Amino acid sequence: MTALQAPPAGDAATAGQVARRRWQRSRGVLVALLALAVVGVLLALMRPRTGSEYLDPDSPGQQGSRALAEITRRHGTPVTVVHSASAAAERLRAQPDAVLVVVRSERLVPADLTALRGAPGDRLLITPSGETLKALAPGVEAAGSAWSTPEPGCTLPAAAYAGSADFLEATTYTAPGQATKCYPTTGGAGLVQLPVDGATVTVLGATRPLTNEHLAERGNAALAMNLIEARPNAVWLMPDLPSPGSGGQKSFGELVPFGVKLAVLQIVIAVALVALWRSRRLGPVVVEPLPVIVRSAEAVEGRARLYRSRRAADRAAEALRAGALERLTGLLGMPRTAASDPAMAAEIVAAIAAHTGREQAEIGAALYGPPPVDDAGLVLLVGVLDDLERLVRSS
Amino acid sequence: MALTGRTGLLAVLGAVVLVLVPSWWTLLAVDGTVIALVAADLTLAGNVRRLRLHRSGDTNVRLGEEATVSLIVENPGPRRLRARLRDAWSPSAGASPRSAAVTIPPGERRHVETRLVPTRRGDRAPVTVTVRSYGPLGLAARQLNRSAPWTVRVLPAFPSRRHLPAKLARLRELTGQHVALIRGQGTEFDSLREYVDGDDVRSIDWRATARRSDVVVRTWRPERDRRIYLVLDTGRTAAGRVGDIPRLDCSMDAALLLGALAARAGDRVDLLAYDRRVRTRVEGAARTELLTAMVRAMAPLEPELIESDAAGMVSALLSRVRQRCLVVLLTDLNATAIEEGLLPLLPQLTAKHLVLVAAVSDPRVTEMATSRGDAAAVYDAAAAERARAERRRVTAELRKYGVEVVDAPPDEIAPALADAYLSLKAAGRL
Repeated sequence: MTALQAPPAGDAATAGQVARRRWQRSRGVLVALLALAVVGVLLALMRPRTGSEYLDPDSPGQQGSRALAEITRRHGTPVTVVHSASAAAERLRAQPDAVLVVVRSERLVPADLTALRGAPGDRLLITPSGETLKALAPGVEAAGSAWSTPEPGCTLPAAAYAGSADFLEATTYTAPGQATKCYPTTGGAGLVQLPVDGATVTVLGATRPLTNEHLAERGNAALAMNLIEARPNAVWLMPDLPSPGSGGQKSFGELVPFGVKLAVLQIVIAVALVALWRSRRLGPVVVEPLPVIVRSAEAVEGRARLYRSRRAADRAAEALRAGALERLTGLLGMPRTAASDPAMAAEIVAAIAAHTGREQAEIGAALYGPPPVDDAGLVLLVGVLDDLERLVRSS
Repeated sequence: MALTGRTGLLAVLGAVVLVLVPSWWTLLAVDGTVIALVAADLTLAGNVRRLRLHRSGDTNVRLGEEATVSLIVENPGPRRLRARLRDAWSPSAGASPRSAAVTIPPGERRHVETRLVPTRRGDRAPVTVTVRSYGPLGLAARQLNRSAPWTVRVLPAFPSRRHLPAKLARLRELTGQHVALIRGQGTEFDSLREYVDGDDVRSIDWRATARRSDVVVRTWRPERDRRIYLVLDTGRTAAGRVGDIPRLDCSMDAALLLGALAARAGDRVDLLAYDRRVRTRVEGAARTELLTAMVRAMAPLEPELIESDAAGMVSALLSRVRQRCLVVLLTDLNATAIEEGLLPLLPQLTAKHLVLVAAVSDPRVTEMATSRGDAAAVYDAAAAERARAERRRVTAELRKYGVEVVDAPPDEIAPALADAYLSLKAAGRL
């Protein structure tokens, strides 16, 4: 209960103590936030940069694959680029001797995979997604990933002629016994070829051999071309992003494991318990009737504002003159009633003139003259009255 | 009942178990365990209902000073009590700490001290004692509000007591430690003694000299045993704040200084607080007890936001006093309140008694009267001048009835009133 552990209000803490207490209270949260930021940055750095051009046979960019497609065409193997699974299946039915190159297979929805499975011809799957693998290369499973520049280590002509390739990072696969495995690493093989339903399915776990940027490195170009030119025709499937709601997508709820759902429910219960803990007060709120706070001078201030808003220079001047007269007669030793007695006016003015040396007309105008008509006149009048008072006081 | 953070933590740990073993049965088992542990903790927690609570400590504190009140908690139950205890006082009691952790083995008792630094005058009482008794696991607690009555009376601060030594010195000058030979005003006959060289011949008592063979002189001393009636007006004008404190508090301070001084001067002092009814009255207090009695009577007084009933006040006063006395009326020189209330009744009072009106003026008005510069400041000054003119008019009217008027700002009212009393005493007008 932080509220209860707070020091008593009477203890005056220095700024340093307050700062230290705040630091101690918040450092856990700060460390957690910092850790979160570091993890986020690391994940962002590790993520492969894949743009829309990635492995696109029409793209001349570094990550595109136009070079490979062009070279293959020049070697006499026509490459048809299609952007949807249905178009690919149609094309394959027209050219059953073609090899289907599938890149960016994560964009394929289950319906697409079904359409592809029904089509004839060989397959070349470049880093296929788990579902694609399951549908088009049954028995092959992703084992892990390896960082290496591997040697073929197999009898597959396409790989054996190409020699060592530059994969940088490759997904490795395990496959059933009848499959040919190339570029082996400890966990599996980077290239797997196996017969499925009478056709040949090749799974390549690396994308570097296809990109414009790295095509020329080591045996990359040879490997890629050998794999594609194994058949007289090639259909290159570069799927477009599936349109939303194109079917077959699982809802978020279906994707979340049951245990996580239960855990979320339990955390809701935990939050409710914490809310109960925090909401229970240690005793009731204590109320107390407070004294009314009325400033004594409020009425006087109110009157001042009224004078101001009405621009009542005449009334204000009357009050100021009366006050000044009271003090002046007191200073001059005149009777108390003199200040408010108009008959005494001449006598008072004469006495003040004698003390100050000012003109009687001027003094008479200041004390008994017509009232000022505006604020400026009032301020001037106050100045004159103050002068008179000061002079009489000092005389 | 109350939970602790540990219950929430336990439930979160349950979520981890659910990820590892996902099934509805696990959920049931996890939450069942939490509920069972909470229930066990509640059962094993120390009993709050049977605790015996007493208090000891200060019952009086001067405003601005610190009081300590102990709460004694006795645990007669068979189980150890581990609890957080909050002794809740009203906010203006300035109680700290807000809560305290206590552990009381069975059959033992503990003191929980609360420091009070009250911020207002009056009676302060604890509202409730809340005890949250934790179980052995610290998962859940039984919580109950108990009461342990006590009252701390916060007395007026009486800051003007620093003026008392100076005023007492003046009083001693007045009375003299030795009797005076010269009959002045405000003196009464003390005794006769033999003439010695240097005595004023005018003080020779010829009648007594004729009876004896020696020349005898009369000696005199200042009058004693006069009666002073202090009347505090607790109506609406007393509620207005001058500076930062209510006018009533300034009046109380002045009344206390005057009371202390008059008691030392040998006069009898009574106190009446009135607005539309008698709020408090101190009469016939012994001289040594007077200040204590006044302070205790004044402590719970609060200004009422109603117009004071001057007629009621005068009759309440006249019904109690027979002999002549000095009536000190502590109020404000508010033109309407005085002219409509007090003025018509003054002849009744002044016929037999001497009346002194003491009023606290507002330094803010004085400050406004000297404000100059732009038109707004000059209008302020004009309004302040008008207020002061009204005050002067009321003062003049009061003086016409032979009433003494003391009008001073809050920090000067107490010594000014004491001076006025000393002058009256010196002049023998009491």
